[in-house]
Amino acid sequence: MCKDMSPLEKAIQFHGHVCPGLLMGVRVAEFAMHRLGVSADVNEELLAVVETDSCGVDAIQAILGCTFGKGNLIFKDYGKNVYTIASRENGQAIRVAQKFRNSRTPQSQRYRELVCKGPLTEAEAAEKEELIALLFEQLMSTPFEELFEWKEIDFEFPPKAGIFNTIQCTRCGEGVIDIKATETARGPVCPGCLAENGGR
Amino acid sequence: MCESNVYLNRGGREELLMERVDRIIPAEDGSIFLESVFGERRVIKARIVEMELVRHRILLEETPEAVVTQRIQELWLEPATDHGHFHEGEEVILRIFKGYNMKPGEGLSGDGLEAFAVADGVSRAVPVQEHQGSMEINLGQEADGLLQVYVREQGEHELYGKVVLEIGHHHHHGLQALGLPLEIVPAGYSHARLGENYEFQVLAAGEPVAGLEVKATYAGTHHREHPHRLRTDDNGRARIFLTARGNYLFSVTHNNVTSTFTLVKSF
Repeated sequence: MCKDMSPLEKAIQFHGHVCPGLLMGVRVAEFAMHRLGVSADVNEELLAVVETDSCGVDAIQAILGCTFGKGNLIFKDYGKNVYTIASRENGQAIRVAQKFRNSRTPQSQRYRELVCKGPLTEAEAAEKEELIALLFEQLMSTPFEELFEWKEIDFEFPPKAGIFNTIQCTRCGEGVIDIKATETARGPVCPGCLAENGGR
Repeated sequence: MCESNVYLNRGGREELLMERVDRIIPAEDGSIFLESVFGERRVIKARIVEMELVRHRILLEETPEAVVTQRIQELWLEPATDHGHFHEGEEVILRIFKGYNMKPGEGLSGDGLEAFAVADGVSRAVPVQEHQGSMEINLGQEADGLLQVYVREQGEHELYGKVVLEIGHHHHHGLQALGLPLEIVPAGYSHARLGENYEFQVLAAGEPVAGLEVKATYAGTHHREHPHRLRTDDNGRARIFLTARGNYLFSVTHNNVTSTFTLVKSF
């Protein structure tokens, strides 16, 4: 890869395919970069709090560099397409929420049907391809404010991701970071062993 | 939208036969005439099985003598790299295909094929050769810059295929038309990106062709027909929003000439 990929291409490369959820995440990530005046994160200058674990989060990770592994992606399991993006460098933060729509368009309804269906016939595969192309253009060309509500917010930055000591679980023998281990009568136990066996 | 997509049940499998059909006329001989909003027409020996008008879907079933009218073949070029461009010092190889909707047919030979490479306004003939069962053009090493390559097959119906190759990086500038009898010219050569518009112009002997249908397809499509049908404006220009990851192929037919342009995605 010797040319810079566009943010959209980065997101698709990371996610593996194009789908409406990913495209919504692309719109949020691009908007956040523009609004906060930032580029992709290198070393936790940016922070994302996501209230969903759906496709759009992959766009946040791929484009903004707020990733699960780096510790600057905080997941709240609320099942809401809401994203808070904050910059430690300029102290600004925005909260972006996807607007609720009561009904789906016939195209998006049909697309969902085909996504949920098992193996597709050749004709259905062609239809799905046509629908995603249609939705793709719609989602990428619709004004941002028609899709999302957003506002600047006061944001309390959590500390940067910590680095912890690894100790050995006395039950399974595997390593576990000390803050996740539970001290029992037989010594420290990892969460997995604790859940399966209690403190025994 | 009042038109429907027409599907054909062929051996138990539904295949898209024609998109956006707005006219269907059954004939006494058991054939059905179809016409789409794009002006495409086809006659097929088939019967109507089902019409789902809410879903804009009409299903046909082949009758034993089913004959689909001949599609005009297309000739096109693709670089033999999945990187989309070449680097100085690399061997520049192009594959030649003949088929329809980016699906190669069988039996392409070098007979009657001529190929040319054009750089900085200077054209030179380049050899076409067979390699491992396919036809290709091996240009060897090329200098850094943009290179246009085209192939043609002359006959009662002439076929042209053109591609723009980038040798090196960041060669973003306009390209001169080659003066082919029918030619698709990118409006401004730049790195084509997914999710953006791409504009081009259709010229016949150097003059813009207005109102001409441009078929567009892309690598890996499930459609049997071209997924996009565009039409040139008064200046012969048309635009498409790129939604597929692979290379695109644009195709036009005018005055017994079919000419293609391969838009190569470059990484």
